[in-house]
Amino acid sequence: MRRELYDLMTDSCFQCGAVLGAPPALCAACGAVQPFRADLSLFAVADLPETYDLDVQALRTQVFALQKGLHPDRFAHAEPTARRHSLEWSTRLNEALAILRDPLRRADYLLRRQGVDALGEQVKVADPTLLMTQMIYRERLEELVAARDVTGMEALRQEVDTAGVHVVQRLHRLLATLPCAEPEAAGSAVRELQFLDKLLGEIGRSAESLQNA
Amino acid sequence: MALMQIAEPGMAADPHQRRLAIGIDLGTTHSLVASVLSAVPTVMRDHEGKHLLPSVVRYLCDGDIHVGYPAVAAAGQDPHNTIASVKRLMGRGHGDVQTLAGHLPYDLVPGEGMVRLRTVAGEKSPVEVSAEILRVLKERAVETLGGEPEGVVITVPAYFDEAQRQATKDAARLAGLNVLRLLAEPTAAAVAYGLDKGSEGIFAIYDLGGGTFDISILRLQAGVFEVLATAGDSALGGDDMDHALAEWLMREGGDASDPLWRRQVLQQARTAKEALSAVDETLIVLAPSGRAAHEIKLSRSQLESLIQPVIQRTLPACRRALRDAGLKLDEIDGVVLVGGATRVPAVRALVEASFQQAPLTDIDPDQVVAMGAAIQADALVGNQREDLLLMDVLPLSLGLETMGGLVETIIPRNTPIPVARAQEFTTFKDGQTAMSIHVLQGERDLVQDCRSLARFSLRGIPPMVAGAARILVTFQVDADGLLAVRAEEMSTGGRSEVVVKPSFGLNDEEIANMLQDSFTHGAEDVVKRRLSEAKVEGERVREALITALAADADLLEPAERAALDKTNAALIQALSGTDADAITHAAEAVEAAAGPLVQRRMDSALRRAIAGRSIDDLGD
Repeated sequence: MRRELYDLMTDSCFQCGAVLGAPPALCAACGAVQPFRADLSLFAVADLPETYDLDVQALRTQVFALQKGLHPDRFAHAEPTARRHSLEWSTRLNEALAILRDPLRRADYLLRRQGVDALGEQVKVADPTLLMTQMIYRERLEELVAARDVTGMEALRQEVDTAGVHVVQRLHRLLATLPCAEPEAAGSAVRELQFLDKLLGEIGRSAESLQNA
Repeated sequence: MALMQIAEPGMAADPHQRRLAIGIDLGTTHSLVASVLSAVPTVMRDHEGKHLLPSVVRYLCDGDIHVGYPAVAAAGQDPHNTIASVKRLMGRGHGDVQTLAGHLPYDLVPGEGMVRLRTVAGEKSPVEVSAEILRVLKERAVETLGGEPEGVVITVPAYFDEAQRQATKDAARLAGLNVLRLLAEPTAAAVAYGLDKGSEGIFAIYDLGGGTFDISILRLQAGVFEVLATAGDSALGGDDMDHALAEWLMREGGDASDPLWRRQVLQQARTAKEALSAVDETLIVLAPSGRAAHEIKLSRSQLESLIQPVIQRTLPACRRALRDAGLKLDEIDGVVLVGGATRVPAVRALVEASFQQAPLTDIDPDQVVAMGAAIQADALVGNQREDLLLMDVLPLSLGLETMGGLVETIIPRNTPIPVARAQEFTTFKDGQTAMSIHVLQGERDLVQDCRSLARFSLRGIPPMVAGAARILVTFQVDADGLLAVRAEEMSTGGRSEVVVKPSFGLNDEEIANMLQDSFTHGAEDVVKRRLSEAKVEGERVREALITALAADADLLEPAERAALDKTNAALIQALSGTDADAITHAAEAVEAAAGPLVQRRMDSALRRAIAGRSIDDLGD
């Protein structure tokens, strides 16, 4: 019985009892902000279908539309409980935007949803090709920094950027149907993309410190 | 069917009843207060018609306090008791301001915690000095509006760290103001511009004030102001230009250690700088005590070469903000200038050259921030505004000290707020029962280079083999950019939990004591927490029942209803007491008695849902 009462409470507004639709944070009938539900996925919180093929512009629009109703600024005058709920939902929406807008973090999140931890510490990167690529790229960057070659750095940046685009395309194929049927291949693509992202960051920082010097 | 009718948050309860709200720009050199009057953000004037209130406070020996122009007039004669640029001291420790000390004529009191100033009225903290400025602005608002404002939005430099923000909030509280929100100055400027122009796109806000420099990149779209990145320097501004010029003038003679003389030269430098924004050459008259007055001719190009190093220091932050936002120069749709120091032609030239476009200067750079704050305050008290939403970011990374004095970043800078991150820790020695946690803010790798926000010990960890304990530390940053840290010891199932709001008003020892107290009183807290959890659960059951009965009481047989009412009465009785177990049992009894109602209610909800769908389908 306890379970059913719980179901009744979570699927109906805690304030007015109206049946809650999606998105689940605000009651459509009375406007009350609902107690936060940590069990909902980032997709559910943002009221979007769980898929890798996601339009980032649509995601942004959707998250901000929801934030307009849930952000703590809307509850500056509300009582403490509502303010806490608003803070929790708003925090989670920001997390949804940050993770789902990024092709790397979105892929990692979807894999973790099916129990695959592609970036976990226990995963040993054993792909010799990726290791070799990493070494070559790093050496090239070091040489460019030593030579203070800004043009060369921009060329390298574009090359790495393009390589990243290709990996994202591969992820789109691998994650077209969920759960992913080839988690190993997808995990390896995620690790490759993480390396390329980090490298892009390093190139950016190096170029910037040359400019500032 | 609702039992209670709740007004939607953010909606005005009564359109005829306008709520009073103000926006305050608490600046390094000047402060302003504005409010939305007849839908127009308006900066309020003093009795003499002046918008700006100089951020200068003078303490007199008779206990009187002068704020604004009268204080400025006396600054030359009474430097120790006349506090200017106090914003640079907000949330700063004695060590932080040593580098500024050469510039500041104040008598700083050595000690722990936030720096204090010795004046004729006793020792004053920067928070108290700022509160005097806020009080004057509040009075001005009360007179203009004809009533107490319900709430205020105060702007802070985007680059203000946690301690500086907290100090600002404390000053407002001291001045009797209800702070609705701290708002980043560049965001406020963008609000003033965005709503004024109805424009959309990506904007860079270049804000060079008296004592701080901020660069922020914002995206404006459909009423949402999204801060993409922010960078800057909280100790760089127009004051530094004045000081650069003053240093140069000092070489002309006079005793550099004489605060009176320093102050006089500094004022001359400021006047000359401002004059040279409009003319190409100006005369400075210096009169060192005991010597004849003499004139110095200064040209704009001389001034520009003196201040060039200061202006150049803004560029690395601009590059960093662009990179953090992941944008290229040509993606910036407009550059907005904020802050009095952007009136200096050399600054405008530098901005135009580095952003490859002429900056926007339509709104008075001195007033634009206060106007934006007023618009936001108006929206926050619930006066209807267009769908305005400000999404700010964390300006500086938050991290924890790890082995070897290194900082591990928990939340990187420019993460949208509110944000929460959790990190799990474990013990590294067998039988370890305590763990020290040191929270830091800043971008550097070494602890000594970052700002220490809080240091506390987690005690009472049950002795276990190394690595068996699990301690979850959660950082929650709210929409004001203020941090709460919660530590939970999870390995035993019983969780000790403590919330730290790091505040520079409290020194590390005070925070440590507060925390130790919470752990010493751990057992007491456990009882309290169980009771409060039981009450929350009991209330939830009671409210669910009220709702269910209001909607579907007719689904119950009279006997069932009687049984349910009896258990409900017992629950209400238990809720008024302090016995957690009694409340839990009573709540369980209500749930059991509500069984039939729950079952039938779900059936009927399901039927309604199905019925609703078929109507929808027909409608399509």
